[in-house]
Amino acid sequence: MLAKSPAKPSVAKTSTAAVTHQVLIIGAGFAGLGCAIRLRQSGIDDVVILERDAVVGGTWRDNQYPGAACDIPSNLYSFSFAPNPNWSRSYSGCHEILAYTNSLLDRYALRGLIRFRQNVCALAFDDATGCWNVSTEAGEVHRARSVIMASGPLSNASFPKMSGIESFKGHKILSARWDHSYDFTGKRVAVIGTGATAIQIVPELVKQAAFVKVFQRTPGWMMPRFDIAIPGWAQRLFKRAPGTQRAVRQALYYIHEFMATGLIWNTPVTRVLQMIAKMHLRHQVKDSWLRRQLTPDFRIGCKRVLMSSDFYPALQQPNCKLITWPIACISPRGIRSVEGVEHVVDCIVFATGYDIYNSAAPYQITGRNGRQLAAEWAGGAQAYKSINVAGYPNLYITFGPNSGPGHNSALAYVESQIDYIVQGIKTVQTRGLSYVEVRENVQLEYNRGIQKRLSRTNWNSGYKSWYLTADGFNAAMYPGFATQFAHQLKKFDVKDYELVRLKTEVTAPA
Amino acid sequence: MQLDTVKMLEKIKSTQWALADFDWDEPGVDKITPEQWPKLKAFMADLMWIEHVGARGFAAMVKKAPDDTLKQIYHYFHAEEQRHANAEMALMKRWGMLDGDNLPEPNTNIRLVVEWLDRFGDDVPLNALASVIPMLEITLDGALCKFLLETVDDPLCHKVFEKINDDESRHLGVGFHVLETMGHGKAYQLTLKAIGTLLHPKLVVGILAYLPLLNKMRDNIVGLGLTEARLYDAMNKFKRIGGRTEDGRRNPWFKILSWHSAVMIDRRNHWYHRPIDALVRVIDRIPVRALPAVPTWVKELTWKPTA
Repeated sequence: MLAKSPAKPSVAKTSTAAVTHQVLIIGAGFAGLGCAIRLRQSGIDDVVILERDAVVGGTWRDNQYPGAACDIPSNLYSFSFAPNPNWSRSYSGCHEILAYTNSLLDRYALRGLIRFRQNVCALAFDDATGCWNVSTEAGEVHRARSVIMASGPLSNASFPKMSGIESFKGHKILSARWDHSYDFTGKRVAVIGTGATAIQIVPELVKQAAFVKVFQRTPGWMMPRFDIAIPGWAQRLFKRAPGTQRAVRQALYYIHEFMATGLIWNTPVTRVLQMIAKMHLRHQVKDSWLRRQLTPDFRIGCKRVLMSSDFYPALQQPNCKLITWPIACISPRGIRSVEGVEHVVDCIVFATGYDIYNSAAPYQITGRNGRQLAAEWAGGAQAYKSINVAGYPNLYITFGPNSGPGHNSALAYVESQIDYIVQGIKTVQTRGLSYVEVRENVQLEYNRGIQKRLSRTNWNSGYKSWYLTADGFNAAMYPGFATQFAHQLKKFDVKDYELVRLKTEVTAPA
Repeated sequence: MQLDTVKMLEKIKSTQWALADFDWDEPGVDKITPEQWPKLKAFMADLMWIEHVGARGFAAMVKKAPDDTLKQIYHYFHAEEQRHANAEMALMKRWGMLDGDNLPEPNTNIRLVVEWLDRFGDDVPLNALASVIPMLEITLDGALCKFLLETVDDPLCHKVFEKINDDESRHLGVGFHVLETMGHGKAYQLTLKAIGTLLHPKLVVGILAYLPLLNKMRDNIVGLGLTEARLYDAMNKFKRIGGRTEDGRRNPWFKILSWHSAVMIDRRNHWYHRPIDALVRVIDRIPVRALPAVPTWVKELTWKPTA
């Protein structure tokens, strides 16, 4: 199985880095920290994490808007190998989740691995040495045998391209970059968007602002969220008998797995779930026109299902109004909607989502023989089992193409990815290889299967969502259960990879 | 010729206007003569309500649009019709025709149509709505608005209706395009489907509210000085444009509406007008307190340029 080294070294960049690390991880969010923990537990100690910020936490560090919380139960939205018996609520808020990620630093002695304020701007594979050169915006170059891109799929956000946005004289806030210094008391506020973020922000703003106008483009399906305080006795039980917490986690996991039968595919369960969501709406909204405005006209599951029990009541507060007219433009004083009215506001909150890399890479990635990932992904991102890409040896991606869950904890998916990545890196180490690279035909075959399976899912049923590229290619979601996803990643099968040992081997650090 | 709906959507997005674009206090209010005032008040109220009812029709079409582009277009048209109603209400405010900030009082017949739309509007097939709406639009565009501009000298009214007419021409373009596409298929199948829809009790109830409204408004408008010839011209335009292609002519809804519009205008047709006029009288006798509360979408109407 061992292949010969490529005959002709290509546009290899020469590194200015003095040390070649065994593993370099980009991003110190959930995925990056999880990778570091599992690598260290498997005996790989030479790990470096590059973090663009001054603190860890990734998405949960960035998303600190009022009301930010998880919409998956905390017992499931945490690592199985790092349980937390102290969750205070069934669905924890962002501060508690961030505290959990921070606690991992000390619990697993990770602080020494992290290089803060290192914003990666390019990755380049050095064909001659079989190593990766990782460049940062500060001009530093780090060198590593393997690289894990744990930068996250929802790590970048920007103001949407809306007509007149620059002309607005009031205050603009992006939900993913919350301005904590702005006082909403007595202010008139517009919130653009009614997705997973907006539905958490609006109930909080309504408590503080003079008036909140919520601009909706399309309503989403919403399920009730049973957010309750975890009683002290349960926390004590989880601490003393960790098996009980594991059992709760397993139960939650399989309940969510069952949801897949209705959310991913169009089945009778889909209708039952829609019925529950409609009952929830009917129960909370008495006015038939408002109910009509809030009723989606697509099948449940096509887009992310929203979880909230306080959004609908917030919309009906006397100081809140749902606007479903399309936005014509942003004006210096506020928002003009197509029914001809200018909504004058002091502040606009943009809860308009993230910059998604369904058909691009977040930074320049140059693979073997000068291959450019951006060019290869232009028609839609593709990888093998969401993790490896042919032509990019020893490069691993967490939350990569087609690894998105529509029904279960993203952390359950990333845990499977982490363990697979560790196996890949261990393979290189134990076999004394320079690199492993997934075979092109294997990747092609895998994606053919994934796309075929996706064609039968709700996501690909014709409704546009951020899961799809402009051409309708689904590079985001995994068409199956979390259990299936975990099963395919259980074993790193070397048959699927080129195993390469270069003649001019660089010296690996001890 | 088929309309490029994608380009049309772009055009719609790039030609937006708002009430705040106008100076509602600019000179010209005195151009409304005292003799004109009461008639104009009644006319504007009717016009505003037709626009608003049309807006709700577009809202129903959003749910049934065959593709995403058309869905977005209808979403815009819904808002644009509302904008027309808002702008007409703002003109009424300017001319001192509103009782404080209140909406012009809808007559019982309008109330019944609003109630029917609220209950059953979303259940009407696209084919029926897509045919009725161009017919109403062409009446608005071709007869009522032209009549208004000939009668009223207030320059602001002309500026506002220039914008409204631009919007309406796009609505008509899309309306006739859809009318044609809906006529694609075998004539007997389309006819059977249309008959099935027409006989549906929900639609029958709607027709019983809609026909007297048309009769009543027709008489009001003619009473204001609009010549019947104007209405004939508008209907002929509907027949000419709607029937310019074979698909358009094959659409049974087009045929039904063409026939109906001709009958409605022709006051000599007693077979039609006597029972409908009787219905008008019956509806007029319904006490206001017996009517259900107006749905909340009606309360979205506003004459205020900013909110």
